[in-house]
Amino acid sequence: MVFSFIVIPLLVAAFLPLIGKISKKLLPDVLTNAALAFLLFNSILLVKPIFTNGFIIQNLSWLGEKVNLQIALDGFSLFMLFTISLVSLCVSLFSIDYLEHYGHKANFYALFLVMIAAMNGLVLVPDLFSVYLFMEVAAVASYALVAFGLGSDELEASYKYLMLSVVASAFVLLSITVIFGLTGNLSFQAVAQGLQDLNARIVLGVCVAFFIMGFGLKAALIPFHAWLPDAHPSAPAPISAMLSGLLIKVSGIYALFRILYSVIGLSPALSRLLMALGIISVLVAALLALGQKDIKRMLAYSSISQVGYIVLGLALGTPLGIAGGLFHLFNHATAKGLLFLNSGSIQHITGTRNLDELGGLGKKVPITSGTNLVGALSIAGVPPLAGFWSKLIIIIALVQAKAFGYALVAILASILTLWYYLLIQRKAFFGQVREKWQQVREAPFWMSAANIILALICLLVGIFFTPVYKTWISPAAEALARGIHQVLMWGL
Amino acid sequence: MAIQIILLCGLIIFSVLAILLKDLIKAALSLAVASLFLGIIFFLLAAPYAGVFEISVVAGLITVLFVLTIALTKKDGEVKESRIVHLAFPIFFILFIVIDGLVMKSLLQKIPVLPIGPEAGTFGEVLWKQRTFDLVAQIGIILAGVLAVLALFRKKEEDKDE
Amino acid sequence: MSNLWFLYLFFSALLIFIGIYCLLTMRNLIKLFIAIEIISKGVSLAIVATGAVNNNVLLAQSLAITYIVIEVCLVATALALIINIYKKNKSLDVRLLSKLKG
Repeated sequence: MVFSFIVIPLLVAAFLPLIGKISKKLLPDVLTNAALAFLLFNSILLVKPIFTNGFIIQNLSWLGEKVNLQIALDGFSLFMLFTISLVSLCVSLFSIDYLEHYGHKANFYALFLVMIAAMNGLVLVPDLFSVYLFMEVAAVASYALVAFGLGSDELEASYKYLMLSVVASAFVLLSITVIFGLTGNLSFQAVAQGLQDLNARIVLGVCVAFFIMGFGLKAALIPFHAWLPDAHPSAPAPISAMLSGLLIKVSGIYALFRILYSVIGLSPALSRLLMALGIISVLVAALLALGQKDIKRMLAYSSISQVGYIVLGLALGTPLGIAGGLFHLFNHATAKGLLFLNSGSIQHITGTRNLDELGGLGKKVPITSGTNLVGALSIAGVPPLAGFWSKLIIIIALVQAKAFGYALVAILASILTLWYYLLIQRKAFFGQVREKWQQVREAPFWMSAANIILALICLLVGIFFTPVYKTWISPAAEALARGIHQVLMWGL
Repeated sequence: MAIQIILLCGLIIFSVLAILLKDLIKAALSLAVASLFLGIIFFLLAAPYAGVFEISVVAGLITVLFVLTIALTKKDGEVKESRIVHLAFPIFFILFIVIDGLVMKSLLQKIPVLPIGPEAGTFGEVLWKQRTFDLVAQIGIILAGVLAVLALFRKKEEDKDE
Repeated sequence: MSNLWFLYLFFSALLIFIGIYCLLTMRNLIKLFIAIEIISKGVSLAIVATGAVNNNVLLAQSLAITYIVIEVCLVATALALIINIYKKNKSLDVRLLSKLKG
């Protein structure tokens, strides 16, 4: 059952180009959305077994022979699986109408599904080399998706992204190779065991530095962020939502923290280093976002800043910090997905993304305006929306750990965040309707529907904060905290 | 042992040529020769299958792709590289050799490695039974690559009549 | 045995250095991609050598083969991108690609 998360998207993706010859629009739309809805349903079904057992390990046999198709699922991976399925379903609903400009829907959906299959695979495998492999599969699909519009900006952004990302994954693989040489093994458990028996501090330090560099580039932490403000705005809106909402989190944050927590172990020095990277990202990206004119570029910088919050929470290493980081990861995935989709709606409605040209759209397009407001306030951390709670938890965790300086900067940066999101809202939606936009109409049905679903999630998660926190966030945080306790004894 | 060091030096020399040569076709061919050396090194390291793959796929197929691209972009594809880059290369290169040598020498003998017994089974068994997941991921990456090329070379005109 | 391991790691670090130097300084898009190829040669040398000196060569060999497959897909995607950029810009100069600034 768990294996279907990888197989179903891959199978559908393999047949889509053929199906696209028969039916250009209808069948690809239906098939993709059905597959993703099935995955979402499947991930909800898995909640109960995870609750009772704590984890699932499945071994598949194939053609009667025992082969090594091992999948490990614990609270953390299930949490990621659910987030991936939810956001990607909304994105694919949005694409039904949005992709009308681009054409070649079958090809687009096929790449999209390969990317989702790869992300699911990355989350499920308990093996270092497979983590690298699935990261690369998702990356190759995303290069093509960023360049999907074939304009010169898109191609340029995609090429830059490719160059940096290949170097990043080379460093990750190098580090995996050295660990493989030290322990002679690749599966998480065996490597963790092997590293415990060895005392190879210096080499392990180099490996961790490479991991932080590689995954930091994938997650666009501040010194390694140069590609993101180009690549994410250039992509078609649904893909920007996927990249910002999911890909940087899965192939950057998830992979880094999975390896740090369950294989290498988070030592105090490492925790301080990551927290410093996180806080720099939070502050610098928020300042850079203020100066942007293009909505999508502003959102892209905001992604870097919010990733900083997530890293801050996860790197703190206390159970509360981890829970806050994970909760913020979920909230950022939904809210940033929503905002990028909304920017797609704005572009669809008016044909521009430049904030100076827009104005007064609020009365003409109430749905887009309303959903945008919800997403923006959620990320900025205004109660009672979901983002408020996750930022609150992170800040409380920081105060508990006596990191007052960090807490102060986090609060200041969240005020900055509120500022630039209100700037978008005021310039694009509030005020007098401009001459130019008298004739605009609301976005098509599926685009609005996807936006409304995501906005409702932001709202409802905020209102029903306690049950959501208990059912989803704590098991995942516990799974991570257990990992720390297993390996913290010997440190780095 | 001496043979291996000669091969490794050859690998380095042809890689350097690949980045310093001005003519792109020559650069691509020196890259292929470097792959050839790497393939032989793999063979000497008792990894014959990887060697065959390296020679046939990397030295063969990838070189063909490179030459094809270079031929397609030949008309206005010339770019002047700055001379300083070429002149500064030996300095940085030697500097890096020294640093690299010192780092590796200081690490030598200090790194404990878990002793592992000889491996059981054949190469085929290891690939198909231990690393089955990699094969699934390979299907994924081939699919991604094919779809990416299809997406990047699709016809623009077709978009409009839809 | 681990003496040999460091010899190979020395050479693979050298290859990666050559690649990164070229990436940082050169301007031709195809040259930049040749640099990426050199980096990946360094990585695959490291993988096979690590397995060979630590009695693990079969496993390392299957990793190296998977890595080569990845490399081919990457090369195909990147060269398709390069050809598309060339069609748009009529040039392979990376300096023309500076409309977007991080």
